[in-house]
Amino acid sequence: MYFLRPLAMGVALALLTGSTLAASPTSPAELQAAWLAEARQSNPALRAFSAERGRSFFSTTHGSDWSCASCHTSNPGQGGAHAVTRKLIEPLAPAANPRRFSDAAKVEKWFGRNCKDVLGRACTPEEKGDLLAYLLTVKP
Amino acid sequence: MKTLQSLSLATLLLAGGAWAGDHRYALSPTYAAECGSCHVAYPPALLDAAGWKVTLQQLERHFGSDASLEPQAQREIASLLQAQASTRSAHEGKGAAPRLTTTAWFQRKHRPEELRGYPLPKVPAGARATPMAQCQQCHRRAEQGDFGEGSLQPADGRR
Repeated sequence: MYFLRPLAMGVALALLTGSTLAASPTSPAELQAAWLAEARQSNPALRAFSAERGRSFFSTTHGSDWSCASCHTSNPGQGGAHAVTRKLIEPLAPAANPRRFSDAAKVEKWFGRNCKDVLGRACTPEEKGDLLAYLLTVKP
Repeated sequence: MKTLQSLSLATLLLAGGAWAGDHRYALSPTYAAECGSCHVAYPPALLDAAGWKVTLQQLERHFGSDASLEPQAQREIASLLQAQASTRSAHEGKGAAPRLTTTAWFQRKHRPEELRGYPLPKVPAGARATPMAQCQQCHRRAEQGDFGEGSLQPADGRR
């Protein structure tokens, strides 16, 4: 019974609050195309994103304590844990976790948060594209 | 639908999201998703309304991380927290960035004599990890909102 009540409560809350945030389906390829178009506005010579630049971006710090790897570990094909709370983080590489980079709103939300934590500013479209190019090379 | 909603609302107001005494808490899907990705989705009923209000006002600087929300999620979670917040003074948030772990109730429940047999998780020197934020290490069903004593287990796995 105790286990049913929270469930009923969850349903009640879902009814009250309406649905949670709407999903905005996308794919790594669609995201790459959009970021490339955006990046070319300021850098028309840019031909393609670089997995090598993305790998270096992922694993180095950018003037603060944290790098992407601080939480996502140096192998984004495997899970990590939050640096402070040790909450488990699922693998970031799409090959290891197909849910990654499949919801545009979620992607932008997490870049928004994590870029501020790691770089102290928003990431550029070029940085996002390089990073995803790198993650797409990572095997589980 | 209308009747169902009023009924749900009544349940919600009566229960306030918690079942007194057994330490199991219902978590809405939005709350669990948005507030449970970096840490355990802490039970709304363990902090007072003022404490939650301050917390939500500074999500961009949330204990060292940017945890800002989309406006719609922010509104949903704000009203949910105000509805489910504790009215007990023992759950009063303290300071400019209130923490659940510094309320009188939490401190009483986790004082050293209560923790015997449940040592706090070890934190490597220099690491920023905070043992008290890691509910899941001892409360093995914390992710599901279950803080009942039946699911307590020492962090190192010993019984």
